[in-house]
Amino acid sequence: MTMLIRRILGNLLAKPATRPFPVVSREPAPGYRGAVEFQQENCVFCGACALRCPANAIEVDRASKVLRFDLFRCIHCACCAEACKRGCVQLRPAYHPPVFERPEFEFSGAPVVASESRPAD
Amino acid sequence: MSDRTTIPFGPQHPVLPEPIQLKLTLENETVKEAVPHIGYVHRGVEKAGERMDYTQNVFLVERICGICSFIHALCYCQGIERLMGAEVPPRARYLRVIWSELHRLQSHHLWLGLLADALGFESLFMEFWRNRERLMDIFEKTAGSRVIISTCTIGGVRRDIVPEDLEMILRELDALEKALDVAVNGILEDRTVKKRLVGKGVLPAGQAIVLGAVGPVLRASGVPVDARTDGFAAYGELGIEPIVETGGDSYARTRVRARECYQSIELVRKAIANIPEGDVIIRPRGRPNGRAFSRVEQPRGELIYFISADGSTRLDRLRIRTPTSANVPALVAMLPGCEMADVPVITLSIDPCISCTER
Repeated sequence: MTMLIRRILGNLLAKPATRPFPVVSREPAPGYRGAVEFQQENCVFCGACALRCPANAIEVDRASKVLRFDLFRCIHCACCAEACKRGCVQLRPAYHPPVFERPEFEFSGAPVVASESRPAD
Repeated sequence: MSDRTTIPFGPQHPVLPEPIQLKLTLENETVKEAVPHIGYVHRGVEKAGERMDYTQNVFLVERICGICSFIHALCYCQGIERLMGAEVPPRARYLRVIWSELHRLQSHHLWLGLLADALGFESLFMEFWRNRERLMDIFEKTAGSRVIISTCTIGGVRRDIVPEDLEMILRELDALEKALDVAVNGILEDRTVKKRLVGKGVLPAGQAIVLGAVGPVLRASGVPVDARTDGFAAYGELGIEPIVETGGDSYARTRVRARECYQSIELVRKAIANIPEGDVIIRPRGRPNGRAFSRVEQPRGELIYFISADGSTRLDRLRIRTPTSANVPALVAMLPGCEMADVPVITLSIDPCISCTER
């Protein structure tokens, strides 16, 4: 108990053990399986990611060349990233920002549908 | 005249992290009978396991329990590997031990913290949980996720731990051990804590065996049974002595878990010192066919998977026996005769994981 009392007194004088979030935020570790990102320009819509996904979060329509991704179903296992031979799916070490509505992510191939982040040529 | 009252304990109770109901029959303040009611968090994992691809099931079974997710995956993978005749590379077996023991450590830290919280010892609760953060950070750095680490897979592990990270684990464990000394001393040597734990919920060895208790509950009654002595993964090479206490009460169960923390630290150090070089995964060919039992030691006790497969991509049957479902009969035997005020602590002393139990 004396050991613990010493510790408790030390805690009283020490700085908080937590960070003053959101002023100071913590970066995830380099290998963290975080935000899922698709590089749509390289995608050939083979469907390997959709086949391996344990949560059925990815849906690929090979005929019409459409890929749909449901972030709310995703369990961040990185099976899609392992399955993709062309490296089109990656899990970046970053947290997904909180959302108020179900994010809909969809892209189709040939011609690539311009997403908001992609400037028109 | 006997004045009996039946009161419901749970499913929502401050001491219970998960919902279980105990219908307690009291005579004044003394418990005469306890009847458990479960079924609040049934998720149908076993059925889902028959509908999914056998390789995808690894991620499903990990979600049975967040606190020992890796060990669930390990048990499942070992069963499938047995059916497919796959030999796991030695480095993968050692990595499995490292992650398993780190999971055991964090689970015991979580439980010791919860126990301190149940006793009203808030500062000790925070102390344990602060130490636990070190382990969660290790998972994040080595596995890429903090809770459901998803590193175990059929044929090995999905990630290697680089030598720098192995050294980081050793450094963190040194710091953790020092912090653990303070925290464990606070729970095992404190007069007030002892008063709440010693002699509460006594389970004699004979009764523990008859009721089929497992894990720390059984070992605290003086029965040296630990599935790790079977030598799965790399435990056979590392060697392990089950930690046994003879009291059979809540204090003995706490002691077993506290001592197991030190044992896990030692095992991780030994595994890191002896880890061989080489591949971490092989891709087994074919599909599982036949029936297999797999048995591993979870933080709460023995975990058993029965897998029946017919050579297709889906399993015939996946049956999971979790340690808490084996320990609930022991809990029901511990409660009669105790004071109402001791029920929360005794219930917590089996380390109930209800989501595991109901799957």
